Amino acid sequence: MIARSDIPPVGRVVATELKPATPHQFHFWTANETSIGIGAIVKVAGLGAGDSGLGRVVYGVVTDGFAYSDLATPLHDVVGAEGDPARAADAPTARQEIRYWTAAVLRQIPEEPLQPVPLARVFVADDADIAQALRMDTYLYSAAPTAIPVGLYTSGGLEAPVYLDADFLLGPEAAHLNISGVSGLATKTSAVEFLLASIFTHFPAHKGRVAAVCFNVKGPDLCFLDQPGDLSAEDRRRYERLGVPPAPFQRMRLYAPLKADGVNLNTLRTHPDLVADVEPLTWGLQEVVDFAEVLLNRDDIDAKADAFIDFLRDRVLARTFDDGFGTTHRVQTFADLDRLFRAIFDGLEITAGGRSDTWRTHHIATMRKVRNRLSNISTRCKGLVTDDGPSSDIPWGAFEDRAVYVIDVANVDPLGQDLVFARVVSKLREHLERRDLGVDAVVVFVDELNKYAPGDGPDTYVKKMLLDISERGRYLGLVLFGAEQFRSQVHRRVVGNAGTQLFGRMDMDELATPGYQVLSPATKIKLATLPIGELMVRHPHFTQPIFVRFPKPPVLRGRDGVERFPPAADLPFADAVVRQLVHLDRRIRPNQVKDLIADREEEDVRRALAAVRRTRPEDVLAYFRKTLGRRVASDAAVPRERQAVPPLNPISDEPY
Amino acid sequence: MTWWQALVNAGAVPAAFAPPASIGRSDLEDGVEPGAGADLMEDDELQAHPLPERSDARLPSAVSFLDGIERWSVVAYDGVVPVVRAYVAAAVRRRDGQGGLHTTHERTRDFALAPLDLMDGARRQALQEHCPDVEVMSGERVGQPAVFLETVEMAVRRARARLERELAEACIATLADDHWLVVDGLLSLSPAVARHPRALGVIKSHGAQFLEGRGLERALTLPAGHRTSVFRVRGGHTRTEVFSWYLRLWPWEGNDLLYGLLRVEARADAATVARASEVSGWLLAERAPLATPDARWDRLLYPLQMVRKYLQTRGPRELLPAPRSPLPRTGT
Repeated sequence: MIARSDIPPVGRVVATELKPATPHQFHFWTANETSIGIGAIVKVAGLGAGDSGLGRVVYGVVTDGFAYSDLATPLHDVVGAEGDPARAADAPTARQEIRYWTAAVLRQIPEEPLQPVPLARVFVADDADIAQALRMDTYLYSAAPTAIPVGLYTSGGLEAPVYLDADFLLGPEAAHLNISGVSGLATKTSAVEFLLASIFTHFPAHKGRVAAVCFNVKGPDLCFLDQPGDLSAEDRRRYERLGVPPAPFQRMRLYAPLKADGVNLNTLRTHPDLVADVEPLTWGLQEVVDFAEVLLNRDDIDAKADAFIDFLRDRVLARTFDDGFGTTHRVQTFADLDRLFRAIFDGLEITAGGRSDTWRTHHIATMRKVRNRLSNISTRCKGLVTDDGPSSDIPWGAFEDRAVYVIDVANVDPLGQDLVFARVVSKLREHLERRDLGVDAVVVFVDELNKYAPGDGPDTYVKKMLLDISERGRYLGLVLFGAEQFRSQVHRRVVGNAGTQLFGRMDMDELATPGYQVLSPATKIKLATLPIGELMVRHPHFTQPIFVRFPKPPVLRGRDGVERFPPAADLPFADAVVRQLVHLDRRIRPNQVKDLIADREEEDVRRALAAVRRTRPEDVLAYFRKTLGRRVASDAAVPRERQAVPPLNPISDEPY
Repeated sequence: MTWWQALVNAGAVPAAFAPPASIGRSDLEDGVEPGAGADLMEDDELQAHPLPERSDARLPSAVSFLDGIERWSVVAYDGVVPVVRAYVAAAVRRRDGQGGLHTTHERTRDFALAPLDLMDGARRQALQEHCPDVEVMSGERVGQPAVFLETVEMAVRRARARLERELAEACIATLADDHWLVVDGLLSLSPAVARHPRALGVIKSHGAQFLEGRGLERALTLPAGHRTSVFRVRGGHTRTEVFSWYLRLWPWEGNDLLYGLLRVEARADAATVARASEVSGWLLAERAPLATPDARWDRLLYPLQMVRKYLQTRGPRELLPAPRSPLPRTGT
């Protein structure tokens, strides 16, 4: 590559015995007034008189800068100013100063033999230089490009798009992205939103279909991804430069659990204009039992509990089962399960006369513990976990290309959040392994990794799942985009497996941790003062961190969304039922529904509603009427006298 | 191929002797000349005049500073006849409104010095063919190498003085109405420059004393921030008549009599007397920034130091003495 002779150099490489130029680092000086700064990408080309390294081109990124004058000691300035700082500026001649920069080598052409950087002229890099310097040419100009714009490198009035390699961002070569930054600057979420928009636009056709699953874990952050945000002219220009349309996500589905009343949605996206697009997320016993490990804390995990859960899963659930005391069960709901437990306990007490404390080799204390945990989740996560089986779930197997599936668990009990996360990720993995999800790659965005995958603390099920995605996900197309405030406190294998790492403004304490020792002091200072909309990027193709600017995401920010679309108050029971049915069939008139459910038990109505959601019939109202009419209530709904289970004798000391 | 390589190829013995003067500054000495004296142009007897406060000093809007350097080295011997490569350079750097210096004039001369008539025919021919600028020296003192080198040094200094004079004359020819030229050294070496109304010579070394008796004592014990009365420099066949005065930049007490003492030369004109204090106040303000780490920072004006540094960085480094012995160090 030959530098154009009409572009003036901005500096010149200098080397001394103490600070020589090496194959990986060099130093150069510039005029005092220069566009060069920390993070600037420069090109060294030996072309002029006195230059060395003719024909060799070296690209570097500025990692440190120094300024000094010929002042021998500070005392001489004091003497010159006669001790008066005000006089120091009166000196008629300005001291000779230098702007001296240190740059880390990004790339040398030719790459072999690898030699020290020539003492030659330094130029500001242009678009083509950036592509060369960051080795983007290999995936930007190839026959099957895999370039995903991540932002604009800007320096000295020059601006160049920076691309990530989809093969290294979304697999299979490398995968996963981790973003760190202090809270409250809207950088982490905004960056991921922009990057998703960029991926959806530029994901190469030959790599198939892609979708994203985002867990909304706080406030309304991700609730309005389908609504346009306010973009400045500068933002729009940047979108144009990056080749990404400045439009919100066309296909966005938001899933939120119901509240405890079973009919109102547990999300901040309940404004009447938008609530119709929110799908309830409710699961039943089967879904919970499959992930019962999530519900058991570390002390609970033992072989006995595991064995009993396996027994329930394999032999009991959704099967016709004889409890051994003369009753046949078909357990499909929590209510069915509770009846089974009662039957067992009653059987042991009454039928066996209290002489036995085991049932099918399982100790009664173990059974009580499992019953306790399972019933606990149905209580704490009422609205997410229903008593009547799955009624509304994510469309497994029918994922749409370029769709964002937001799962709003911001207001869900932490135990429920863990359950949602574990089940969703597991199902994604299962379907991706079978290649029947509907897409070939899924980006899973998880915020607050400090909470879900901390570096210390117990090995929770969620942490194990995140580790599993990090280590094996890239082969499946399951890609983790994780965000956190303190990268140093996230599990090392989770962040270590992230091929691409983004850094927003960082806390100085965080930057003082060992993970940032590779950064120069100047780079750390820049990181600590990064403005909103600027990131430092590390990517497998980039040998050094690169600073980029990205435009404001094209979607409505959570806070703005709540202001523009204030959440509606919880509806009365009847109105909430109407809303859900109308959402399924817009031909339904509210009065029809209200007449139907008048004087009916709310529990019956909820069950009928769940059946409708589960079945999605052609004629919603007719099916609802029919289901309600034939009293879908289970036997448990039949009032009966509650029989207390007397304590067994003898019994273990376990307090269950 | 350089001319000294050609000379060596022709049979000369390569050499490398650079005098200490090539390391740094060697002033054009303000040496003693027969008949030198002074006529007071201000006051009845030499007085010390206090200068305005530094903050009250009126600085010209633009000032140019002129200085020069010299370097030389014996690069080959033809028998015992030394062949010298010399480099002299001078530059004028103008100070802008922000205090920055920009080079406006620059001249260099890279030449050979040799007693051609004593050289072997082939080697003389090689030198003349390959070196476009040969200054012929007398071969009288070749038999005394140390003395001959002193002659070489004098010749190089004369070459440098000539270059500085030419450059100063070129500069004043383009000097705007409100611009000044400050020359490092004697102003009186060039009649044209010595007669210019806005040219000053700043002399740091005081080999010539023009005063005597009480006047000399007052001059040498001048307090800091004071100047002497203006006197006319008299005598010396190389000098053009100029007015001059002493100026003390820094207190000499605790140091020596010449510490911080400058002698200023200006046009021999009544106007020079009238504005001697104003000019001195300006030069006093030039104390900052300090011209450290130069050993004579007490008398060296920083802009002049910058001119010299500029020239030194551009001069041929092979004429500098080797920083350390080329021999390998012993194991100890």
